[in-house]
Amino acid sequence: MNDFLELVVSAAASGCIYALVALAYLIILRPTSVINFAVGEWAAVGAFVGVAVLTPLIWPRLEGPYWLAIIAVLVILGALGWLVELLTVRPLVNKGASITSPILALLGVLVVFRETMTILFGADPLPSPPPFGFNRVAFGPFAGASQQFLIIGATLALFAAVWLFFERTVWGRAFEAVALNRRAAALMGINLRRVTAMAFAAGAMVAGLAGLLMSPLTSAHYMMGLPLAIQGFTALVIGGVGRVEGALLGGLVLAFVEQLGARYLPIPSGLTLAFPFVLLIVFLFLRPSGLIAPREAR
Amino acid sequence: MSRLLTPVLWLVGIVAASALAFSMGGYATDVYRKLLIWVALALSYNFLFGIAGQVAFSHFAFAGVGGYAAVIFAHKLGIPFPIAFVLAIMLCATLAFVVALPSTRLEGFYLALATLAFSQLVLVVINEGGTLTGGTGGIANYRLPPLLGFDIRGPWYTVVLVLIVAFTLWVLLRMDRSSFGRACRAIRDNAVAAAAMGIDVRRVKVMAFTLTSTLAGLAGIGYAYIDNVINPPVFGLDNAFLLLFMIIVGGTGSHLGAIVGTVLLYLAPFVLEPIVGHGFLVVFGILVVLAILFQPAGLAGLLTRSPARQPA
Repeated sequence: MNDFLELVVSAAASGCIYALVALAYLIILRPTSVINFAVGEWAAVGAFVGVAVLTPLIWPRLEGPYWLAIIAVLVILGALGWLVELLTVRPLVNKGASITSPILALLGVLVVFRETMTILFGADPLPSPPPFGFNRVAFGPFAGASQQFLIIGATLALFAAVWLFFERTVWGRAFEAVALNRRAAALMGINLRRVTAMAFAAGAMVAGLAGLLMSPLTSAHYMMGLPLAIQGFTALVIGGVGRVEGALLGGLVLAFVEQLGARYLPIPSGLTLAFPFVLLIVFLFLRPSGLIAPREAR
Repeated sequence: MSRLLTPVLWLVGIVAASALAFSMGGYATDVYRKLLIWVALALSYNFLFGIAGQVAFSHFAFAGVGGYAAVIFAHKLGIPFPIAFVLAIMLCATLAFVVALPSTRLEGFYLALATLAFSQLVLVVINEGGTLTGGTGGIANYRLPPLLGFDIRGPWYTVVLVLIVAFTLWVLLRMDRSSFGRACRAIRDNAVAAAAMGIDVRRVKVMAFTLTSTLAGLAGIGYAYIDNVINPPVFGLDNAFLLLFMIIVGGTGSHLGAIVGTVLLYLAPFVLEPIVGHGFLVVFGILVVLAILFQPAGLAGLLTRSPARQPA
């Protein structure tokens, strides 16, 4: 039983990371219809920014506090997301290129980010310190590493904030309006360019925070991006691409299937790697709208 | 071109590409052979992605299925090579058909993600295949048995690879210049309009996917006997991305572009790696972004006067 409860904490923490990456996709996908595979790399950048601020491994003299790492991730990733939108997506949208063009261009961006990280930070994983130390924490029957609880708490807070943004603010409604009908939204006076730029910046920030949060568990590594991009996208498809809640649900479902399956199903551990791919295929084919259906235009 | 001239040109091309093989040392031969496999894969992938407009990431997975199937049938199960070869091709075609049936229903980039998941699944199966697939270490220590009394060795094997490229190009050109090729382009540019003109969109999509993936399987079999070693990492996602980049840089939808892009991006690391190390991949990424932004017709668009038609 203890074993199971610990697994629940660990699966919930991984699920929250997947959910954050899914959320990064969603924030960009909703108003722009662009599936941005580079979000995984942005998470990796977030992890490296964390290492740079918190440890002497990358930037020797700066061993800053955790809040500085959070601010650095938000500022740097926001700027990177905005810059990528400005340089690659906007010119294509202006030219009236098909939706595949920016998606493929972003694959090029993905490779640029990954290989630049190899050049800057080397191929070895860099450890990142958890802000509350390595001690174990127990909440009632649930016990786990402090970082796992931090991930769960921070993810829930972030999701609540993003949900409130979409539901309660004018800008959030503008995002939703653009998602439902670009032309009509533009005619209503919504600045499409600004919404697109904001979506990329915000998506990059969320992805960066995911990387910062997960790095104490996995270390910062240049290869962490692509698996995360696949898992995050799987979470998005499971939950449904239309709703913020869907990303959270999808991430948790994916992580629980992965970890409970690896623990209790009598199959070789290597085959458990197949779970996300099987889930992705099943949901794409059988339930492309995901578990939570997108909201219809009212 | 006149009816007489075309076969002559094909013959000259094949003989020239083959003659090259006899002038090469060991290292150059190895590079040349792998380049030929890349060209074969790029040609068929260009048809799938550039002409039929399907962004799929399964091309290398099908090459892996073909290569592994031929080696397993011929050397693990002891089936005579010609039969093993036919079985491997049939397996590729069947699997591609089964994958294509549901996948081609998916809109736009969702096809890419389904095929990406499929290719990762293939890798998991190969890695976990135990003694049959050799797991992560792959299979080694087999060799192509004599065929019809001929022991195909050294430069003659390179000639076989040249013939695989020529066959691939011939099939693709035949398809491209038929009503099927026009149907593919019509669907790529506007599926709704194509359906309205009486094109069976599903059928054409499934056929394009199955045919090109089977050609990838053929190239995979050719690859398996270059070093007489086959292992999983080659068929992974990194190479699938690289293949896509070769097509985009060369010129999406152009056969010439596929060849030019492949030769350039395949040989570039040999020049760039001593200078910038792994940085050449950054250069590739930037090239792809620049090509999409400023030169959607790719290098082929610079070479030929008439701009190649662009994918929708």
